[in-house]
Amino acid sequence: MANWVPLWLHRLSSPQTFYRFAGAVRPWALGLALVLGAVALYGGLFLAPADYQQGDAYRIIFIHVPSAWMSLFIYGVMTVSAFIGLVWRIKLAETVAMESAPIGAAFTLITLVTGSLWGKPMWGTWWTWDARLTSELVLLFIYLGVIGLYHAFEDRRQGARTASFLALIGAVNVPIVHFSVNWWNTLHQGATIRLLGPSHMDSSMIWPLLLMMVATKCYYVASLFARVRADLIAAESGKAWVRDLALGTQERA
Amino acid sequence: MRPGSTSSACAALLHRDLLLAWRRRGDIAMPVLYALIVGTLFPFAIGPDPALLARIASGVVFVTVLLSILLSLDGLFRGDIEDGSMEQLMLAPQPLALLVGMKILAHWITAALPLIVVAPMLASMLRFPASAMPVLVLALLLSTPLLSLLGAVLVALAGGARRSGMLLALMLLPLCVPVVIFAAGAVSAAQQGLPWAAPMAWLGAGLAMAVVLGPLACAAALRIAMDT
Repeated sequence: MANWVPLWLHRLSSPQTFYRFAGAVRPWALGLALVLGAVALYGGLFLAPADYQQGDAYRIIFIHVPSAWMSLFIYGVMTVSAFIGLVWRIKLAETVAMESAPIGAAFTLITLVTGSLWGKPMWGTWWTWDARLTSELVLLFIYLGVIGLYHAFEDRRQGARTASFLALIGAVNVPIVHFSVNWWNTLHQGATIRLLGPSHMDSSMIWPLLLMMVATKCYYVASLFARVRADLIAAESGKAWVRDLALGTQERA
Repeated sequence: MRPGSTSSACAALLHRDLLLAWRRRGDIAMPVLYALIVGTLFPFAIGPDPALLARIASGVVFVTVLLSILLSLDGLFRGDIEDGSMEQLMLAPQPLALLVGMKILAHWITAALPLIVVAPMLASMLRFPASAMPVLVLALLLSTPLLSLLGAVLVALAGGARRSGMLLALMLLPLCVPVVIFAAGAVSAAQQGLPWAAPMAWLGAGLAMAVVLGPLACAAALRIAMDT
């Protein structure tokens, strides 16, 4: 019977085990993110041909689009782990949700800034009140609200639980961001890459984009694990395993 | 001792909150004065051109109302949390969601209803056409309970936090964007003589959903915030 999966997951949810696991995975994820990111950037900036309409300016999509995907993906991860944390009161899930928020906010900011840089030569304006742009901006504000609420409490766990609830409420915005280009016919273009059916993009441009997507996912894992490790150490500072770790009696994971 | 019926508990709570608000009548006047003063700042800031003012009037009214509700929301649960009556409400045999819903209703009556009464005056000071005034009032009647319900959930969350005032604005304003879009959209459509039923229906649908989910979410948020 394959009951080692739930057993392993159960063991993983203990802070000490997760601390070691995250420490083991993090260098690999970070290395993978750097290598894949470098290859994707080379592919996107040098190998992929220039666009027939936009020239070289389109190349910002190799940053913009993966960041935009990540801004939504991280919100999804945050929502799911916030839900798990609230329902089953798993401390680790709360930590993952709260430490995801700053990373997601950073990706959202990158999306907005790169989009704005691209919009100036292409649309002739830094900013327009388009449905997708506005909903992405609202996403940034919700991220900031979650971060702000988390830090507004003296008690970290109470802050995490409260901010998790806010994250669940804010999740209504995620489908709005995703479908905004279909629901409202405003300036931002529709989806070019499709999971189902053919994409409207040449394969020479698509592979760096997909590679970059994997790289940003790896970066997220690496960054999240580093943040969660730091958070776990701080939250569990009174526990024996942390003391052992600090005194160096235990092998460093 | 047998607990009282749910409806009598709700009525008692509503009566208590309204009475408390009535004993501090000055506090009710504050959001109204705030809205009037913010509204009068606009003609000074952008110039008294009637055409321009008429164009932005509905937006100014909605944003001003939103901000005044935000100001009044801050104290929605604070008194009850500080003097311990919130714990009593949570321990009460009646469902917390209903009791909290009564508190939100009392807040709407004391904070939002006076705003709706002065909104036509504020709008006409900004040269808003009288023909579209019923639509403005209807949009306010639908959107202010929505804002009260949405705000109550967030106030409940921020209840246990330090310095909750600015934080509340940061959390509430992004979530209010759809409400403002639909409410102002309906009014500006009516102003231009276009059909305004669709955005109004959206507001009504949102309100129907919020009336059901808002008190439940608010009760859950209070339980989280009070859980130490």
